[in-house]
Amino acid sequence: MNLNYKRVLTTFCLLASLVMVLQSPSAAQTSRGADIAVVVHPDTPVTDLSLSEVRKVFLGERQYWNSKLPVVLMIRAPVARERDVVLKVIYQMSEAQFKQYWVAKIFRAEAASPPKIVYSNDMQYELVSALPGAIAFIDARNVRPGLKVLRVDGHLPGEPGYPLR
Amino acid sequence: MYRRLSLPIVVIFLAASSAWGQSPPAPDQTEQIRILVERIQQLEKRVSDLEARQPAAATMTLAVAKLSSPPASEASEAVQPPAPVAGRQQEGRDEHGTVQQLETHYPSLQIRGFGDVDFSATDQKGTNSGFNLGQLDLHLASALSRKVAYFGEITFNAQPTGYTVEVERSIIRYDFNDYFKISFGRYHTPLGYWNTAFHHGAWLQTTIIRPELEKFGGTFIPVHFVGFLAEGNIPSGGAGLSYNFGVGNGRGDIISRPGDAGDNNDNRAWVANLYSRPAKLYGLQLGASVYRDKVKAANGLNYREWITSAHLVWTKESPEFLAEFFNVNHQSILTNAVTNSQAFYVQVGYRLPWLGKSLKPYYRYEYIHTPLSEQVFTNLDLSGSTLGLRYDITNYAAFKMEYRNTRRLETDPRVNGLFFQTAFTF
Repeated sequence: MNLNYKRVLTTFCLLASLVMVLQSPSAAQTSRGADIAVVVHPDTPVTDLSLSEVRKVFLGERQYWNSKLPVVLMIRAPVARERDVVLKVIYQMSEAQFKQYWVAKIFRAEAASPPKIVYSNDMQYELVSALPGAIAFIDARNVRPGLKVLRVDGHLPGEPGYPLR
Repeated sequence: MYRRLSLPIVVIFLAASSAWGQSPPAPDQTEQIRILVERIQQLEKRVSDLEARQPAAATMTLAVAKLSSPPASEASEAVQPPAPVAGRQQEGRDEHGTVQQLETHYPSLQIRGFGDVDFSATDQKGTNSGFNLGQLDLHLASALSRKVAYFGEITFNAQPTGYTVEVERSIIRYDFNDYFKISFGRYHTPLGYWNTAFHHGAWLQTTIIRPELEKFGGTFIPVHFVGFLAEGNIPSGGAGLSYNFGVGNGRGDIISRPGDAGDNNDNRAWVANLYSRPAKLYGLQLGASVYRDKVKAANGLNYREWITSAHLVWTKESPEFLAEFFNVNHQSILTNAVTNSQAFYVQVGYRLPWLGKSLKPYYRYEYIHTPLSEQVFTNLDLSGSTLGLRYDITNYAAFKMEYRNTRRLETDPRVNGLFFQTAFTF
């Protein structure tokens, strides 16, 4: 009886520790940082988008800035803070859901390719400034001259009410 | 005694340590983390500045500059990747890889496959339990230029005597802008939601099989369509309206199939679909569709067919909600006799927050009613429930298990069944 009691207690403790580990926040959870700027190629004919319009662009529901200029989506690779903010605020999806969303989107013939994956801010800066129609998210502290920073819901990064942070 | 108690105490200690280790940091730790993050960012900026002064960075800038002035020919808009520089070969390879990823070649063929393996066991008389290989589905997508793309879908289907190959979709699409895209080919008819949201890959849908009214090879609605389709967004502000309008061959002599090789009459079918994705309610879609055709029934008589449908879906997974309703109206051209058949399904699911959100229980109720006077269909009556659990073992593979309870006619016994599936994409 005593032995059974200890076995049950041991099992319970093991399960409790497992649940605590599983329910704990991810170690990769990001800390609060600077605002995330929405940047586009300087020739892109847009200066101000609402958050829902940014979402529409990044969901692939708006694919053209105008009839001659397709949207070129860029997103940072996993672990980058910019990506975490985009997934949380724009897509409202987990990493897995984001990947599945684009597989399904392409499979439905609604888009020919997913967003381009960019591995560093430098690379992102070079490509957005070079590719007409490109749009990306950059930590506002790393924005350099040569990119157009969009207002989101009428606000620039750093202003009160800016939604991407 | 102490030794006997030591194991539980150690486990409790470990659990407590684990919980302590995962608890939010104290304010002073938060400040330290903030300082460290700032320090990392300063170092990253410094590394960036140093890189910018190196010749390799100049090579990269040169390569990117080429992107801004693509050659006139659309045959290849590729960018020459930067040459590796001594001492920075690894970084050079990274940059090379990123630039390569951003190259756009035309045509740019991408292939993705879907597959599933199933097991079923029911108490229906005359059926055997066992495994079966689901559809092997290959999806092809290829941009032919910045505004022209091809999409194809081919399935390999296990049959008692071998495999059949079917061209499920073959579409070439020309994009004028977001408001007008026109395509030609073989489609999944844009009627309702499910038929164009999930297609053939079982991995895409929550459940093991499609609702009965939408099943492949079924007759209740024309699942496939051969012709042309115009589609796009409608300028509507926050209402997020979009449309599809198509004209095609309609149902063939075998009414479960479209007229791939030619229409069986001089009457074209048409379909219109209007739906809304409101900006303020991200995840919601509601819409309505109408389909018009003239069909030839097995009795040799011609009927006018009107199909109307409405759908309401919430595509986020916590919860997921899908509901569609269809009415199929047939009017005999000879006698003017009219029949109306109805079908609907309601499906709810919920992505549980535990285990990395890998578990999703779901339930679906579906119903089909065809009147006795219906001449185009054989009787399709059905009333059934499906209760299941989906487990996403990875981002691209899932296990599903379902219990189904269905009945065809009021006089028929209910059929109970257990179904298992592993579905994946590759």
